[in-house]
Amino acid sequence: MNAAVETRSAPRALRQPSVLPGFGLTFGFTTFFLSAIVLLPLAALVLMSLRLSWSEFWEVILDPRAVGSYRLSFGASLLAAGINLVFGFIIAWTLVRYEFPGKRIIDALIDMPFALPTAVSGIALTTVFAQNGWIGQYLEPFGIKVAYTWIGVTVALTLIGMPFMVRTVQPALAEVQKDLEDAAETLGAGRFHIFRRIILPTVLPAMLTGFALAFARAVGEYGSVIFISGNLPMKTEITPLLIVIKLEEFDYRGAAALGTVMLFISFIMLLAINLLQAWGRRRHTRTGR
Amino acid sequence: MSITLDQVTKRYQGAPVVNDVSLEIGDGEFFVLLGPSGSGKSTLLRAIAGLTGVDHGRIALHGRDVTHTAARERGVGLVFQNYALFRHMTVADNIEFALRVRRVKRAERVQRRKELLRLVALEGMDERLPAQLSGGQQQRVAVARALAHKPEVLLLDEPFGALDAKIREELRRTIRQVQRELGITTVLVTHDQEEAFALADRIGVMNLGRLLEVGRPDELYKRPATRFVATFLGAANLLLARQSKDGIHFGNHAVNARAVEGSVSGREHEVVAVLRPEEIELAPTREALTSSYLAAGTVEELVFTGALERLRVRLTNGSAEVQLAKSNGDGEYLEVTRTQHEQRAFEVQRGQHVAIGVRRIHVLPTPLSSFTACAASDAEVEHLSRQPLLVELAARMKTRVATRVEPALANGSRDCSSRSGKFVGAAVVAAQPDSLKDIECLLARGAEEVFVLPPNAPPPQRVLIHWADEAAKSATLAVSASLLRHLSAEAIYVDVMPQGTAESQRPHGMRALLDARSEAQAVHGLEMRTELRVGNVSTELVRQLGESVDPLLILGISQINGLAHRFADLLASTPRWPMLIVYREPEVQA
Repeated sequence: MNAAVETRSAPRALRQPSVLPGFGLTFGFTTFFLSAIVLLPLAALVLMSLRLSWSEFWEVILDPRAVGSYRLSFGASLLAAGINLVFGFIIAWTLVRYEFPGKRIIDALIDMPFALPTAVSGIALTTVFAQNGWIGQYLEPFGIKVAYTWIGVTVALTLIGMPFMVRTVQPALAEVQKDLEDAAETLGAGRFHIFRRIILPTVLPAMLTGFALAFARAVGEYGSVIFISGNLPMKTEITPLLIVIKLEEFDYRGAAALGTVMLFISFIMLLAINLLQAWGRRRHTRTGR
Repeated sequence: MSITLDQVTKRYQGAPVVNDVSLEIGDGEFFVLLGPSGSGKSTLLRAIAGLTGVDHGRIALHGRDVTHTAARERGVGLVFQNYALFRHMTVADNIEFALRVRRVKRAERVQRRKELLRLVALEGMDERLPAQLSGGQQQRVAVARALAHKPEVLLLDEPFGALDAKIREELRRTIRQVQRELGITTVLVTHDQEEAFALADRIGVMNLGRLLEVGRPDELYKRPATRFVATFLGAANLLLARQSKDGIHFGNHAVNARAVEGSVSGREHEVVAVLRPEEIELAPTREALTSSYLAAGTVEELVFTGALERLRVRLTNGSAEVQLAKSNGDGEYLEVTRTQHEQRAFEVQRGQHVAIGVRRIHVLPTPLSSFTACAASDAEVEHLSRQPLLVELAARMKTRVATRVEPALANGSRDCSSRSGKFVGAAVVAAQPDSLKDIECLLARGAEEVFVLPPNAPPPQRVLIHWADEAAKSATLAVSASLLRHLSAEAIYVDVMPQGTAESQRPHGMRALLDARSEAQAVHGLEMRTELRVGNVSTELVRQLGESVDPLLILGISQINGLAHRFADLLASTPRWPMLIVYREPEVQA
């Protein structure tokens, strides 16, 4: 009798209670979508580039024009993500900590770069930063040219990546209770100390995630950059543009080779950021310093 | 004194959340601030910690004025309801945080940490993370952390709020022990009266931003001075009674004076009597009672709760005219608790008729016990008694609004010469062009307080107090204190010196002002600010009222004649603000 009851109840105990239908089904969907949308196309990309011989492959990817584009693409993306790290944090802080009129509007504006077709942002930025644009005309006398230089590329990538930073840091900041700061203050800590020892460690993982997302997005950005960069080979030409040019010349294998390089570098950088995050977590949990 | 608060006021968006709180807490004392949520107790604690600035008043710790000192320099330890531990740090690092900030050497830090962990019974937990501890353990860590830098004052903000009952009790004992061992002055904020009783040397009860009463737990329970404290500290039945020279009367029926405690003044007036549920005796007949008979009743509800039995006894209609200050919902019933011993002596069932006796009654020294809406016709009385401000006041004071048709108030008739029937509580009249006549009429007919109410007046934000005659001073203060306990408004005493007062007379005026303030504080527990004006009394009052947002005026007088002349500006036309007029005849020297 008892045994019968147990055998009947055993499978029930193994099953995880959940609102959605079973694990098998959801896991199936997960693998299917990851394969169909992410893994297969990436594999096709690598396979396509392998149709080149090694010497051809190296020639394509080490072409000075290509190397110049890597430098701009990854350099500007890193710089833009870095700018977002600082200013995205400040924006998130302002939105989380203060009440002011128009807060909701500003909060909604953050998402605009998500929704806007990137070409539109590119054209808009070019208009503003061109030599006779609203901002460009005031920078001109100082010898600062934004549009059609690497600075313009960075500006465009900063705009594109900003929402990623703000939206990841915002919830993390909201979780830092005011009580924690109050506690630290009564214990004698100054503002800088509170920021460094209490707030920063708590939101650092979110900031790194935001940084990684903003960086990844910037590397892949195409639409907004081609309008503001001017696309001078070796100077203001980004790798995605170079790929498009290759495609237009029907050099599919060359395009794939460049794509593979981008894939590789992006993967390495994201991996590095993830490792950094994991290391940071361990460090904080171990010693708390 | 460890902590001295002097008229501390904190406003939030214009409304005071901490209202003129003055308090002294001695060295090594365990003080509990008790009050419902929103009473301002946490804000007051944060003000002591320095996390919230104050708008008015001074705060001193150990004689050092810290009103404008930053929290980190006040030398206080603060414990929060949600622990507020640094989650990315170990227990050790959490506790050493304050020491690290002060650049204390490692060896000393470790020693202090071990000492503190022993104190809160968490030895060996040094390397745990907060997430690996239970709620009770986390709060112990928080206590240890708050004590690390040897603060002079320990502040605890609802420290047991997030814990379940058993852990709560354990932690309560630990905190009491730690406090005794260190002899540290401690202030704990809570809404739980049981907690307050268990921990406090003294309790301060707060409501609506005001510190209502301060005292030892047993004192406050036995002899509360206000309705709020009586009902917030334990259960209480509030009854309206009349007090006279020979005792307390419920209707025509007098209760044995031996059972009565509280202020007994010679003046006959309505009072509020506090009956604790455990001071009520039930017996089969009036003769079987060992205590003083109060009324007859029927057992309506009976709940067994272990050690005690809880009953609701409905008062039999017409029995001895016992009146509850506020009827509890659908009827007039008393809350009664009985011990096992009492249950064995007299077993009762639902629906059983019983005689109710009282072992002890405490009388509240409140001059403002209830309201009576007065108008010339039924319809008007009905309308007046539904005025939102009146309803709100009655609800806050846990009292009722009686109605009374006064034909004398009808236009034209105004036969005010005769005194008729006793007035119960404050008489309320609607503001209208003839308000002055109404006031004079009601006062002449025996009312002692008249409340003039403009239609749809909002709850007052500021209460101005003024007495025109010295004889009315103490009654005015008493009434003001009684009313203000139930309002979150600021109290300001306005004194007006006649126009052309010589410069040399001013110090005298200032002294009178300060005297009034200290009398209000000492005798009536009323904190008020003071203002001195020069000019015509009536004009100045009108000006002050006009400058205030949602004011209410309490005006003390001892002469009915000449009101029209003396308060021409104030009373000649329809009063625009709610006004409570307190009238006491000057005492005749015997």
